[in-house]
Amino acid sequence: MAFTSLAFLALVGAALAVYSLAPRRLRWGVLLLASLTFYWLGGRWTVGYVFYTAGTVYLSGLALGRLNRLRREAPPEERKAVAARCKKQRRLVVLWACLLNFGLLYFLKYWNFTAEMLQPLLDRLGAGGQLPVSHLLLPLGISFFMFQSVGYVIDVYRDKYPPERNFGKLLLFVSFFPQVVQGPISRYDQLAPQLYQGRDLDWDQLKYGIQLALWGYFKKLVIADRAAVLVETVMGDPWSYGGAVQAAGVFFYCIQLYGDFSGGIDITRGVAQMFGIQMAENFRRPLFSTSLTDFWRRWHITLGAWMRDYLFYPMSLSKPLGRLGKWTRRHIGGTLGKIIPTSLATFSIYFVIGIWHGANWRYIAYGFWNGALITLALLMAPWFAAWKRALRIDDRAAWYKVFQVLRTCFLVFLGRYLTRAPRLLTALWMIKETFLHPQLSDLWNGTMLTLGLTGFDIGVILAGMAVVVAVEWYQERGGQVRLTLERQSFFVQWLAIAVPLAVLFCLGILRGEYISSGFIYQQF
Amino acid sequence: MEKLMQILTEACPGVEFDGQTALIDDGILGSLDIVTIVSEIMEEFDVEITVDDLVPENFNSVQAIMALIEARRG
Repeated sequence: MAFTSLAFLALVGAALAVYSLAPRRLRWGVLLLASLTFYWLGGRWTVGYVFYTAGTVYLSGLALGRLNRLRREAPPEERKAVAARCKKQRRLVVLWACLLNFGLLYFLKYWNFTAEMLQPLLDRLGAGGQLPVSHLLLPLGISFFMFQSVGYVIDVYRDKYPPERNFGKLLLFVSFFPQVVQGPISRYDQLAPQLYQGRDLDWDQLKYGIQLALWGYFKKLVIADRAAVLVETVMGDPWSYGGAVQAAGVFFYCIQLYGDFSGGIDITRGVAQMFGIQMAENFRRPLFSTSLTDFWRRWHITLGAWMRDYLFYPMSLSKPLGRLGKWTRRHIGGTLGKIIPTSLATFSIYFVIGIWHGANWRYIAYGFWNGALITLALLMAPWFAAWKRALRIDDRAAWYKVFQVLRTCFLVFLGRYLTRAPRLLTALWMIKETFLHPQLSDLWNGTMLTLGLTGFDIGVILAGMAVVVAVEWYQERGGQVRLTLERQSFFVQWLAIAVPLAVLFCLGILRGEYISSGFIYQQF
Repeated sequence: MEKLMQILTEACPGVEFDGQTALIDDGILGSLDIVTIVSEIMEEFDVEITVDDLVPENFNSVQAIMALIEARRG
């Protein structure tokens, strides 16, 4: 069930009505029912995967909770021995939870890619036979709900909070309908209490939620779905166009991706807010990032935070990297010797983030691109600082900030060739064409109007993005859109809902020859 | 405290640590800074800091970092 369908709006409306009428202690059950209905209508029997994940993390959580309790309640004289015994068992439980979930994720998402890579090798070795290929459908949002669920198990392992004893409630945490298909990847201690609280509907929260969801629909229906037409045309057959049009295709893909993903998250957070539930922020104005590291702090924040807390920190503080650190300090010394282990962990994380997007050489290259640039920036930091001093560049100067933002946009733009071109080699060829054979005249000789969009539509996309950038610029400078609206009259506040609704209706639905194609990130 | 200040200023040149009480909450220190600082602390103070210690409360101020080191010294 797509967020952009009338069925989804009907589901949200019905859930809100039943939720408000239900007794407070049963309201989480209403959310669970709505969530299972949502997933069932979108993926039918693949809802079984949600039960599988919830079941494995539920049982793991209970086992870890019991071991944590044993350790805490042991008499002082036995505490050390019990802790050592429990440590082994706790590690085993968390390992099994990870294997059961990530193992299945690997099979569903990466096995066919692995088989494709291994088959020629086996053939060459004369092993014979054909590696089996999975024909199972990839369940919607599987990476999102699995990462969120494994995060819960690791937190219980770390004794951050006790496990959830009610399976239904944990199932709701795993499957909460606004977020199950494309995140954000929530933390149990932040989201679950709000889901179970069953607070009364509040007019202000309802209004804020509607406004946020409308903003999301604007980004998705008016901007992203329009841009998708041009992107499909160029990327479907890049060989027919010159480098400049290919670059335009990637540029519009950047717009599409941002409108699609951040718009979807706004809808998610808006719908949750209608129920009085505040979800984690997933975007913090990434268009204003001053470096690639800064970009990843602002784009898909919850995935980055997940990688940081559950992968980067443990890896950085692990014994092997600790030993490596000691070695590099002794043998290499200086800043370089100190940061080599951190750089290695950093590279690995961005590599994993790339692969997280899917099983394809393009995503592997994308991870490599981000990991290599960020690691290089880390290793080169002392030189950069020296150059800046020599050139007397003031970090705080406005022109330097603008330069940093444009530089980051350019690096992100180059990375997008890798994720959107049909194949990795095509992406590399397109980058070459963009710089060596741009055929710039294609941008104004009418070629742009043969890509599925009229001049008016291209204008709508660019004007829409200008509005998004203006709003984000206002926020970046500390402005709070909601507070500003709150200070206006009741009439103006309603206009803030009615105008986007009218724009949506006229530009997103009436001119709806662009079929809304679901969200890009739900396939991850 | 002096040794800690030296580690901090070397790891994050340009950051004013004195009087700061929200180094993490205000985004002054990121995950890379934290890992660099922690590696240095473990080396220089000969203490073991685990992943569980990497929470904002332990790194929001110089005093909080010092308190963490003291706690891990046992």
